[in-house]
Amino acid sequence: MRRITLIMRDSVDPHLPIEAEVITPETLSKTVLVNVYVGNQKMMLSDVFDIRVDGEAAGPAATEIVIIGDASRVKRVGEYMTDGRILVEGNIGMHCGDFMTGGTIEIMGDAGDWLGREMLGGKIICHGNAGNYCGSGYRGGRKGVRGGEIFVKGDVGDYCGESLFGGVVHVMGSAGLHAGVNMKGGKLTIEGDAVMPCGDMFAGECTIFGHVDDFMPTFAEVGKVVENGRELTVFTGDLAHRNGKGTLRVGSYTRI
Amino acid sequence: MPDYLLKNACVIDPVNHISQEIMDIAIVDGRIAEEPSRNAEVIDCGGMLVLPGGIDSHTHICGTKVNFGRYMSPEDMRAGRAPRGRGMRAVSGYSIPTTYGNSYRYAQMGYTTLTEGAMAPLEARHTHEEFRHTPLQDGLILTLFDGDWGVMRAIGAGDIKRAAALIAWRLTAVKGYGVKVTNPLGAEMWSWGKNVECIRKPIPFFDISPAEFITGIIEANEMLGLPHSVHLHCNNLGKPGNYTCTLGTMGLVRDLNEKRQTAHLTHVQFHSYGGSGWGDFCSKAEPVSKMVNLCPQITIDMGQVMFGRTTTMTADGPMEFNLYRLHQDKWSNHDVELETASGVIPVMYRRKNLVNSIMWAIGLELALLVENPWQCQLTTDNPNGAPFVKYPEIIGLLMSREYRDKEFATVHAGTAKRVVLPSLDREMTFDEIAVMTRAGQARALGLLERGKGHLGIGAEADIAVYPIRPDKIDPAKQYAEVIRGFGQTKYTFKGGVMISRDDEILADNQNRTFWCSPKVPKAYDMDNDPELIRTFERFYSIQKENYPVDENYYIARSMKIETETKL
Repeated sequence: MRRITLIMRDSVDPHLPIEAEVITPETLSKTVLVNVYVGNQKMMLSDVFDIRVDGEAAGPAATEIVIIGDASRVKRVGEYMTDGRILVEGNIGMHCGDFMTGGTIEIMGDAGDWLGREMLGGKIICHGNAGNYCGSGYRGGRKGVRGGEIFVKGDVGDYCGESLFGGVVHVMGSAGLHAGVNMKGGKLTIEGDAVMPCGDMFAGECTIFGHVDDFMPTFAEVGKVVENGRELTVFTGDLAHRNGKGTLRVGSYTRI
Repeated sequence: MPDYLLKNACVIDPVNHISQEIMDIAIVDGRIAEEPSRNAEVIDCGGMLVLPGGIDSHTHICGTKVNFGRYMSPEDMRAGRAPRGRGMRAVSGYSIPTTYGNSYRYAQMGYTTLTEGAMAPLEARHTHEEFRHTPLQDGLILTLFDGDWGVMRAIGAGDIKRAAALIAWRLTAVKGYGVKVTNPLGAEMWSWGKNVECIRKPIPFFDISPAEFITGIIEANEMLGLPHSVHLHCNNLGKPGNYTCTLGTMGLVRDLNEKRQTAHLTHVQFHSYGGSGWGDFCSKAEPVSKMVNLCPQITIDMGQVMFGRTTTMTADGPMEFNLYRLHQDKWSNHDVELETASGVIPVMYRRKNLVNSIMWAIGLELALLVENPWQCQLTTDNPNGAPFVKYPEIIGLLMSREYRDKEFATVHAGTAKRVVLPSLDREMTFDEIAVMTRAGQARALGLLERGKGHLGIGAEADIAVYPIRPDKIDPAKQYAEVIRGFGQTKYTFKGGVMISRDDEILADNQNRTFWCSPKVPKAYDMDNDPELIRTFERFYSIQKENYPVDENYYIARSMKIETETKL
C-alpha cells in the first residue's frame, strides 16, 4: 500500500488555476516527479504541494492519494483514473474524475463544475455540494456518463446528469435547472427539488422525490407509484422527441 | 529561397506524357527549370513517386457554412487535436478542422491548390479571411449564382449578355474564380418553403425553369471566357430516382469550348440514385457514367462517401432540411438574401446501413465506369461524403479489386443486389490516379495555363514526393502500402518552397488567391446600372458601396486573372 499525501502550499498564487491531470493513482504510484501547469507556467507537482509518500505500491490498485487544503482551483484530478483511491480532505476544482473507469474518489468538501464528466466506471462520493454539469456530457457530445456511480450529499448546480447514458447519479440535496436534460439512459435520482428537469429526454429513469418547478408539456402522465414511503407521479417522455421513452417520476409538481 | 534538384525521381506527369520515368527535376526560383542552378540543394528521390502538387477541385474548407459547422459541432473539435510544434499552430477538428488543420493535412497529402466549392457572394469577406489563414495552398473560390435575382431575371427575359455582365460584375466584386450553381433555382423556392422538381417546371415570379437557367448561365459563362466552366450541382440531390434528372441536365450541355469541358457536374455520386423511395433505393451509376462517356463536354467528380462521422454542408437548403428530417439531429438552415441559401448537419455514414452502403458503392462505380480519367475527378465533396483525409483510402479502393472485395464483405448484406460494384474488374494505374487527383483537375479548372497540374519546364514547382516505389510494388496486392504512401508525402513543395517534410510543416504564408475579372465593354459595366443600384437600395440589407471585397485588405497575395469576353 502506498499513500501519497499532497498538502496545498500557501505560496501558490491564489488567482491561477492549476491543471493537474497527473494526480491519478496510475501516475503517482510510479513517481511524484511530474509536471503541472499553474496558469501558463509549467511547474513541478512539488512546487504546488508538499508531498509525503508512505510505503511502496504494487500498482495503482494499492495506491491512495490524499489531498489536504483548499484544492478548489486544482482541475482534472483523477482524470482517466482506472483504479485506487483519491481522498480530498477539502474542496476540489473542476473536471474531477473526468473519464474515470474505476477506483474511488471521495470528496469531503465541495466539488467544482463538471464532476465526473463522461465517466465510464468507478465511484465518486461528494460530501458537500457539487457545481454545474455534475455527471454530465461535454459540449456537443452525444453520450455523457456511461457507467459508474456519483453520489452527492449536498446540492448540485445546473445541468446535473446532462446526456446521461448509463450509470447512476444520486443527489441527496436539490438540483438546479435542467437536471437530466437529453438523458439517454441510466438512473438519475434527486432527493430534493429540481427546476425544469429532463427536457428532450430519450430514455432512462429520473426520480425527483421533492418538488419540481415546471417541466416540458411534452411529458404525459401514466400513473402513480409509491417509493420510499412517498407517492410519486410517473410521466413518460420527452414526446417532442421522435422516440421519447424516458421515465420521469416526481414527488410534487407545478406546471406553469 | 533555395533552389532544389530532385534526383532519380520516378515521375508521372500525364500532361507531358511522362509515365514512371526516372529523371531529375530542377527547381529554380519557384519554377521547374531545364537546368539546376549552381547552388541547388540536391534531394535524392530514388525509389520515390513524384507527382505534380495535388489539386482539389471541389472542397468546403472556408466560408460561413464551414464555420457554422464548427459552431454547431463542438464535439468535432475534440478529435484531431495536435499541439503546437515548430512553426506550426495547434490544430483540432476532424471533419471541419481549423483552417490551419485543413492546410497542414492537405499539405502532408501533397495538395497545393484548393477550390472552395461554394461561396455566398454576400459572405465573401469571411471566405477570404479564412483563405488568408489557410497558409500553404493556393485558393480558388467558386461563387454561387443559383438564386441570384438579377441573373434569373436576365435569363428569364432572354438577355444572356446582361446575365453575363451581372456575373462579371459580381465575380469582380467578391473576387471569385468561377460560377457555381447549386440546385438551380432551389434556393429561391426554399425561401417559400418549397423546392424545384427536376429541371422542366418553371418557378413562379421569375417564370423560368431550371433547364433554361442552366443553359443560360453556361452560355453566359462562355461569353465571359472564364478559365473554369460552370460548376454545377444538379437538382434533386440525394433523392431516390434522381438519376433521370441528372441525365436530363447532362443533355442540356452543348459543347461550347474546345479547350475544356462546358460543364463540370460535381459530386455526381449524390445524383446517381435509382428507385422510387428509400425502400427500393439502388445505384444508377451505369447510365450516368455511360452518359458521361458519350459527352466529352462534361467532367464530373465522384463525391465519394466513406464510412464514419462527418458534417454535410451545402447551399442546397431544402436538401439539408430533408436530411434533418431523416436523422433528427442538429440542423441549421440559412437564407442569403437574393442570392442563395445553405444548410449544415452532422451525419454518420454506417456500414450496417443499406442506403449508406449503396452510396459508398456508387462513388466507386462512377470512377470505375467513366472510361476517361480526365472526365472524372477524385473528391469526397469534403466534408460532405467524408473528410479529405480519406483520399488515400479511396485511391487504394480504386487501385485494388482485392481491397474493394474485402471492404464490400463488411457492408450491409443487401447492398450486392442493388449495385454493380462487385462485377467491376478495373484496377486503376498510378497514371490514372495522377490524372484524377491533379492533371484532370488542373485542366477542368483552367489552371494548366497557370503552370499547375504538370511538371513541364516553366510550370510552378508544386510537387508532391510520395514514399511509394511504383516500379517495385503491385498496387492491386499491396494496397496497404499505397494508402500509407499517399497518406503522407516525403516532401511537398509549393511554388518551389518546401512546405512539408515527413510529418513536419516547414513553411507559412505561401497562399495566393486566384480570382477572375472579365473585361467587359463599357455598355455592360454594371457598376452604374440603375436596376442593380435599385436592387441594392430596395432589397439588400447593405449598400452597394459596401459590397465589393477590398483586394488589398482581404486577400494576402492576389492573383487577378483578366479574361477577354465576347460581349
